[in-house]
Amino acid sequence: MSNSPQSALECRNVTVKFGDVTALSEVSASFAPGQIHAVVGQNGAGKTTFARVAAGLVQPTLGAVNVMGRDIRTGQVSESRAAGVELVHQSFALPPSFTVAETMEFGATGKGGIYSRKGLAEKWRAHLAGLDVQTDLNRRIRDLPIETQQGIEIARALVTDARVLILDEPTAVLSPAGIDMLFARVRRLKERGVTVILILHKIREVLGIADTVTVLRGGRKVEGPLPVAEVSGERLANLIVGEAVAKTLDRHDRDALVGTKAPAHEDTDQPVPAAGPAILSMKAVSTRPDSGGIALDGIDLEIRPGEIVGIAGVEGNGQKTLVRAISALADLEGGSINLAGQDVTRQPLAVRRRIGLRIIPFERNVEGLSLTSSLWQNWSARELLQGSLLKSIRPAAIRDACDRALKAWSVHYNNAGQRAGSLSGGNAQKVILAREIDPDAKLIIAAQPTRGLDIGATAFVWQALRQARDRGAAILLISSDLDELFDISDRVVVMLSGRLNGEFHAPFDIGLVGAAMTGAAAGASA
Amino acid sequence: MKDSLFTVVRSLIFVVLALILCALVFQLAGYNAPVTLWAVLDGAFLRSGAIEQSLRWALPLFITAVGVGISFRAGFFNIGAQGQFYVGAISAAFAAEAVKGGPAFLVIPTLLLAGMLGGALWALWPGLLRLRSGTDEVITTLMGNFMAGLLLVYVTSGPLKDPSGSGQQASSRPLDPAYRISDSLGLSPTIIMIAVVVGILMWLLVNRTAFGVLASLAGRNGTMVEWQGARLWKLGLSSFLVSGALAGLAGTIEFMGPNGRIASGFLPAHGFTAILIALVANLSVLGTAVAAVFFGGLASAALYLPIMAGLPSAAIDIINAAIALFITAKSTFIDRVMRLGGPKT
Repeated sequence: MSNSPQSALECRNVTVKFGDVTALSEVSASFAPGQIHAVVGQNGAGKTTFARVAAGLVQPTLGAVNVMGRDIRTGQVSESRAAGVELVHQSFALPPSFTVAETMEFGATGKGGIYSRKGLAEKWRAHLAGLDVQTDLNRRIRDLPIETQQGIEIARALVTDARVLILDEPTAVLSPAGIDMLFARVRRLKERGVTVILILHKIREVLGIADTVTVLRGGRKVEGPLPVAEVSGERLANLIVGEAVAKTLDRHDRDALVGTKAPAHEDTDQPVPAAGPAILSMKAVSTRPDSGGIALDGIDLEIRPGEIVGIAGVEGNGQKTLVRAISALADLEGGSINLAGQDVTRQPLAVRRRIGLRIIPFERNVEGLSLTSSLWQNWSARELLQGSLLKSIRPAAIRDACDRALKAWSVHYNNAGQRAGSLSGGNAQKVILAREIDPDAKLIIAAQPTRGLDIGATAFVWQALRQARDRGAAILLISSDLDELFDISDRVVVMLSGRLNGEFHAPFDIGLVGAAMTGAAAGASA
Repeated sequence: MKDSLFTVVRSLIFVVLALILCALVFQLAGYNAPVTLWAVLDGAFLRSGAIEQSLRWALPLFITAVGVGISFRAGFFNIGAQGQFYVGAISAAFAAEAVKGGPAFLVIPTLLLAGMLGGALWALWPGLLRLRSGTDEVITTLMGNFMAGLLLVYVTSGPLKDPSGSGQQASSRPLDPAYRISDSLGLSPTIIMIAVVVGILMWLLVNRTAFGVLASLAGRNGTMVEWQGARLWKLGLSSFLVSGALAGLAGTIEFMGPNGRIASGFLPAHGFTAILIALVANLSVLGTAVAAVFFGGLASAALYLPIMAGLPSAAIDIINAAIALFITAKSTFIDRVMRLGGPKT
């Protein structure tokens, strides 16, 4: 790196098409060496595709990639690697049953051979220590906390003297404290001369770590790389969202959508939750662990009508089991569940739904919709299950009703007979909302309801949940995005290892909530 | 409705391709391919009496295949139609012994009902095993076929044995002609009526009841239906039972109609042809009717091939196998095209 080139990584007119879909359109950007660059944009803006082109995983339809002043052959991982570009994926690809040392040896070099566990640990100890990954090298990947796994993933990418390290949405899975640790690690990489490109979607993270920022929207580059020192959060927010959409958004919503500043929920015009008997009342609920997640351990939770309760927590701390327990799909070990005044502890989901339970499940495409079935079938399933199985139906009438409902929820679709799988994520989620949010809904569970959605669809979902709340429904919102939770929840409860670890009221303090998420501080509960 | 007919036509294209492949094979084996194909067509539909003969085979096949389609729709791969067909016939034969001498208008419905119950029973245990302990129903229903086949051997050479029987096959005592629902040609108003009633009822079940919609959703994505609060076992087991009952009914029709008795190893391919028909029809009821007539035609032609083209009638097995191959290839082929067609994110 003596005769340092102008740019560590440069893309020229990169266009990527998947069939009819244009994921990237004539994107040109040049990233200076030795700096931390952020690439931001909403879901579907093309950030991940951009990273994958640079890493050689995606062959661009048009355009060139230049690393350290030299054009490389595109669409070849080996070529990008040889040039010094490494990508750490959004979802980690570490073998769960390997030890740390084995992961480093085989993941990085791909060579076989005879080894001793001790020898391997010796070999990699220095490398990991140099990157500040502190862990026992003989522990297995699956037993490690997510922050450490990420550290190992980064260390693995840096085994071969990488000069450009791309991290795809590295903060999405981390707690606030974990994000601080990651950023400290990234700064040390910069000191070592590594060019780091971070794919992010929160402005305050960009402002906190990056030297430059590049904004993508709808597959096009809107701006950048701009020196971060010269842009305001306000301007970045408008660049990401687009001026036209930005005007339609409530200021707090917009800030939450792009993570402009530390979220707090300072609104004072919130309606006070109606006093009254709780819609959901869980007392000392414990479950056995199942394939869906870890066990619940003595959950006490009450939700009143007209209240949105947010569940915060690092993923995998029992949120899925909580939803399954309320939905009668988990194996209860103890405790009681009360729904709208009725004890439903032993009642199946059908009965709970009849009382007014509605679920927007975690996995939209598996638990929420049957992708190969028609829209009207998906939409009508809830109501059809209310009656007898042999009840006669008129498909034409159901299709008409479905048309009316989908139009009312502004779903973009061709006809009610089309397959649910042909809709975009946002529209698919709206079909679920159209089914699950009805006047009889008393408790609505919204599990990661905006994951993968673009800003317009996200704002739409928030609005729908708020309207249901204002009508007097109780809402349980599970999200790993604190901005989202803080913006629309009236109350936030933190989950940690299958237990509730603290309850918070607006205005929320991200420090305290973050501490509760990792169990760092006791006494956070109110 | 148009859609389902369209799918059948599309499937039949693959069937025709299979026939062409068979013709090539026959040609290579030293037979005259055009003559063979013509003989198939002639034996199935053209020569006098061929249509009646084809319908004789088509009607029981239709009844079984509709049932297979019902269970496939719900995501349960009941490939035990053959066993359920046998057990249905056996049950009816036992019932016939029990109610011997009663008035025909009571005995006939009783026997039909007994046959359906028997078939349903033979579907019940694999269904329960699947729902109770997750045992793969493909394995259990397949094993059930062999068990039913052996049961048939036992029954026809044991409890129901016809002492005067002199053929190579052990068979039961013949059914009192008063209770027969057709002559040995096997086509009668009663059988046609049964098939039509089954067709209408099953069409209504699939297309005009909540059950039809929910079972189809469950077959495509059981998890989603579970999150809606449905009890999958209810949808699955009832589909299984309907499927078994219809196969049992078809077995009973064969017993009370053309055969007039049950013989060990009779119609050994009936259940499998029915599965093929259900797949060709893409599980639609109307499509099943069309496909059943087509395969009924093939069955009718099988008897005619040795005379016309000098081919052994087993050639029809080759044709059936080729069709099975093409139909399976068709579904994966179409799946792949669809996957290529729709890139996600």
